[in-house]
Amino acid sequence: MLAGAAAILALVLGLLLAAFRRRGTASDEAAGVKVWIIGLGFVFSMSVLAALTVYGLFAGQRLMPGAGAGVEAGVGTRVGADVVSVSAEARQWSWRFAYDDRPDHITDDVLHIPAGRPVDVAITTTDVVHSFWVPRLAGKLDAIPGHVNTLRIEADTPGTYQGLTAEYNGPGYRAHVFTVEAHDAQSWDAFVAGDRQ
Amino acid sequence: MKDVLRILLAPLLWLASFSATYGLHGIGCALGWPEIALWGASVFRVALLTAWLVAILIQVAILIVLHSDRFRAASAFTQWASLATAWVGLVAVLWTVYPVAVITACGGNG
Amino acid sequence: MTALRRHRKLSAIWSSEPGFRGWFSSVNHSDLGRMFLVTAFFFFLVGGVLAMLIRAQLATPHSAFADAGAFAQFFTMHGTIMMFLFAIPTFEGLAIYLLPKMLGTRDLAFPRLTAYGYWCYAFGGSMLLVALVFGIAPDGGWFMYPPLTGPLHSPGINTDFWLIGITFVEISAICAAVELCVSILKYRAPGMSLDKMPIFAWYALVTALMILTGFPPLILGSVLLELERAFGLPFFQADLGGDSLLWQHLFWLFGHPEVYIIFLPAAGVISTIIPVMARTTLLGYGWIVASAVALAFLSFGLWVHHMFTTGIPLMGLAFFSAASTLVAVPTGVQVFAWIGTLWKGRPEMHLPMLHIFGFFFTFVIGGLTGVMVAVVPFDWQAHDTAFITAHLHYVLFGGFVFPILAGIYYWLPLVSGRKRFFRLGEVAFALIFLGFHGTFLAMHWVGLMGQRRRIETYDAETGWGAINLISSISSFIMAIGLAMVLIDVLIHAFVAVRGGRNPWKAGTLEWASMSPPPAYNFASLPHVTSRDAFHGDPGLANRLAKGEGYLGDPQSARRETLTVDIATGDPDFMVIYPGNTRLPILMAAVTGLFFLSILIKLYWLTPLALAGVAALALVWVWRLGARTDAGPQDAGRGVTLALAGETEKSPGWWGSVFLLVANATFFGSLLFGYAFLWTVAPGWPPQDWLAPSLVELGIGGAAALTSALAMRLAIRGNRHRARPLPGLAFALTATLVTAVTFAMLLSRVPPPDGHAYAATLFVLGSYALCHALIAGLMLAFAIARARRGYTSPARQAEFHIVSLWTDYLAVIATLSLLAAHLPGFLA
Ligand code: HEM
Ligand SMILES: [Cu+2]
Repeated sequence: MLAGAAAILALVLGLLLAAFRRRGTASDEAAGVKVWIIGLGFVFSMSVLAALTVYGLFAGQRLMPGAGAGVEAGVGTRVGADVVSVSAEARQWSWRFAYDDRPDHITDDVLHIPAGRPVDVAITTTDVVHSFWVPRLAGKLDAIPGHVNTLRIEADTPGTYQGLTAEYNGPGYRAHVFTVEAHDAQSWDAFVAGDRQ
Repeated sequence: MKDVLRILLAPLLWLASFSATYGLHGIGCALGWPEIALWGASVFRVALLTAWLVAILIQVAILIVLHSDRFRAASAFTQWASLATAWVGLVAVLWTVYPVAVITACGGNG
Repeated sequence: MTALRRHRKLSAIWSSEPGFRGWFSSVNHSDLGRMFLVTAFFFFLVGGVLAMLIRAQLATPHSAFADAGAFAQFFTMHGTIMMFLFAIPTFEGLAIYLLPKMLGTRDLAFPRLTAYGYWCYAFGGSMLLVALVFGIAPDGGWFMYPPLTGPLHSPGINTDFWLIGITFVEISAICAAVELCVSILKYRAPGMSLDKMPIFAWYALVTALMILTGFPPLILGSVLLELERAFGLPFFQADLGGDSLLWQHLFWLFGHPEVYIIFLPAAGVISTIIPVMARTTLLGYGWIVASAVALAFLSFGLWVHHMFTTGIPLMGLAFFSAASTLVAVPTGVQVFAWIGTLWKGRPEMHLPMLHIFGFFFTFVIGGLTGVMVAVVPFDWQAHDTAFITAHLHYVLFGGFVFPILAGIYYWLPLVSGRKRFFRLGEVAFALIFLGFHGTFLAMHWVGLMGQRRRIETYDAETGWGAINLISSISSFIMAIGLAMVLIDVLIHAFVAVRGGRNPWKAGTLEWASMSPPPAYNFASLPHVTSRDAFHGDPGLANRLAKGEGYLGDPQSARRETLTVDIATGDPDFMVIYPGNTRLPILMAAVTGLFFLSILIKLYWLTPLALAGVAALALVWVWRLGARTDAGPQDAGRGVTLALAGETEKSPGWWGSVFLLVANATFFGSLLFGYAFLWTVAPGWPPQDWLAPSLVELGIGGAAALTSALAMRLAIRGNRHRARPLPGLAFALTATLVTAVTFAMLLSRVPPPDGHAYAATLFVLGSYALCHALIAGLMLAFAIARARRGYTSPARQAEFHIVSLWTDYLAVIATLSLLAAHLPGFLA
């Protein structure tokens, strides 16, 4: 994307500067419209943009959790028994996480997930709008009062990942962060069984 | 005023059909239309594709009407400009509503 | 009459009061345009200082210069001031100053409204300044998302300053937009058909229409949020049937078009300057007009791209993602048309052209990053980081500030009549250009490294320190450049040597006026036969000064101009303007009292202030008109025209049409909000619906319809028998019945602080009641006018205006009643 953008920028600036260097005959209106407006304005920009639009949508489609059940079962999304469900509840200025696999357990500001398995995070809030963001695992998704949004994340390798809140939510905004602990299968089982906090 | 309206008509209708489709999509998801089968697809898909088709037909109709002699604008410029914006309307409907044909219903980070 | 005597005579008629007292009573568009611009640049200065404070704080890790609370006020006020108090008013000022000159006429459609708009802006802006000075400025970010800005989480007065001050300022935007629409469509030199309009006028027209349809959603949102804050009506509280997402929709329904409202005028400036600098004509005039229209429309279909992370289903996002890439096409067409124009001619590198070069470079990058964030997965990462802040500055600074600087240097010789002689401007440009890119390229970079926007500081371990330092130093370089522009302009305005007319050899009509232009612009109005009226005809200016155009013979002490048919540009009516008056500033002050009373919760004052506004409005309109028919008037060059007051579609009628467009958008947004809450908000259905009543529905609808029909009767009675009174009285009765119906409805609404449903009904009912009362007031006014002899079969304009408002009442009353009763019937 970056290279394409740079190429387009170079093209536009090149044409712009060339206009000052050129000392030929002035072209007429009709020819100008054909080259500049039809050619560059429509054909060129529309083809680039159409490609980008389609690419973007399919990329988005691939990132989706497995929704659209029934007749409209999702294409290319993983729905299956290995999906882990957790919930994240934001407040000014902390995060509280709960686990479907371990119903009585709650953790504050640390989210435990298994590595190598898709995790659906059900996100909501008790006060203002927040946004759940673990940059290395997925994009952002907002926590909106009265709504529950579900984000699919997946950590390829065990480890600690930094999580942030990404919607301004008052003076404690900067320090409103959390961590994600991705466990290997063994220690995840231990977590679920209650052997680990 | 008629001349100005003539120029604005097609994009205005695009805006209306665009918003209406978006609204229909919201209602369809809320009412669980994707789960109801119809003609090999879902009610959701059929409804949205129909909406798209109707929107396209409206735009085509505007183009035809503007071309016809009866509704020709008095000045060449207004005629030209209204045809141009009518094409804008058609392309916009094709371009912005096409997701109804290809994207998964109601899925997403939601 | 010699040209000099004509000048003296016209000046006597048109001049404002001398000295600073003239500021308060002037209704002249040149005065007010300059006042708008000076005030807007004052706010640019304030916003710029705030930006420097932000950059100073972020320059190093763990800077202790501002705490989180102060920093929140800085960025909120910086964004708010730049968007609402600098960018939009700069457009208004530029358009108000230039358009009548470009269109070859003497003033805008409603001179007193221009002044009223200015004072609303000045007073509303001052409210926000007061908040800033006392450290109680808004601090929820420029888009003010509730519930953070709601009563529970921001109990202080800070947010109220924003909601009330900005709404006050928006009145001025709506006034200016109404005025510009009517002026561009009707107030042009004879012969100037739509396709001969200067391109800037097209852009201004499109922008004004966008303001009329883009601002009402935000005004509605502000009203609702203020109602929630002041009286606990829970529109945005999830536990009481509200939804904070409604605010996001309303805000961005305004917010995205806003970006184009800012860009389009700048594009108009570019389209005007480039052909002049290249000694040619604009390539693809029609294509550019069509692109501007397309851009305007498409920009209303993008708002959800600011909400990609709110959990809307992917298909919903896909619509908006696709629309966001499509909008780049008309933008691209314009950019390439401009470059093509340069190729078509022989471009010269003057100072305005340098800034246009700055525009190209910056705006194209901003457009490219914009297309990137239109791609949904990319946005999920970039959203709310410094990358977005950087992107938006590339678009806003590149797409607005650079073109406006170009415009300033281009039109300064016209405004001042002087020549630039220092080379300060070139140095300033270099500093601004380098400083800008240093600042914001760096911010793209830290944004991608994960620095969120709106954080007041960061840890040294992040490794962002060096980049932020580069950014901050660059921003100070840019600030020095901007300060040099200011000095340059001041030198230019006060001490530079006099220059000749039309230094750029431009073809548009503003250069056919004197430099600086006199209060009346043109001693006589030209007959336009081509788009670049002044190009092929250098003698035009002298002939106009000699009175060889229209209205070249100032007989009486009237401020005269004429209007034209919208499409063809044939002259149709003559207009007499009101003279200097302090009524606008007075009315703005009383309007300010209304807003102030809400801000500081002096609620007993609120109805008094409203009554004051209504009373002044009546005085305002009462002063117009005459008690005898004037008949056809001589407009010069063998043309006779009727006075505008003796027609069906007077300027006031046109003004009402456009005001109602904005009003209808407001109403439509309200219905949208209602439907949105009903279908999307958690906590619905409410405990009980309003008990539906066929009687209420029937009476209210019938009464509103009757008033519209009776108003038509009044018009016919006036035309055929000079007897409007029976119809008017009938209409007034029907309107009052409508008002009573809505008062009854309001009394039946469940407590509005209990559930968003009841709160919405309350607003809906109040809106309709308010319109019934307005229509009633107008009818009473019409009756008084008819009885005092201000109307006749010829002097009928006022009836047609009232008729528009009764028609509107009929529509919204019926729709409101249906919307109020529908859920009850369904349940
Ligand atoms: C004079 C040069 C300018 C500088 C150095 C500057 C700098 C900044 C910075 C550093 C921020 C980010 C604050 C943060 O999120 O941490 C910001 C935000 C913003 N700026 Fe500017 N800016 C300038 C001009 C403008 C102009 C001309 C406009 C609009 C016409 C503008 C509109 C905004 C907006 C809307 C925000 C977002 C505010 C918010 O987050 O609520 N800025 N600016
Ligand atoms: Cu946008």
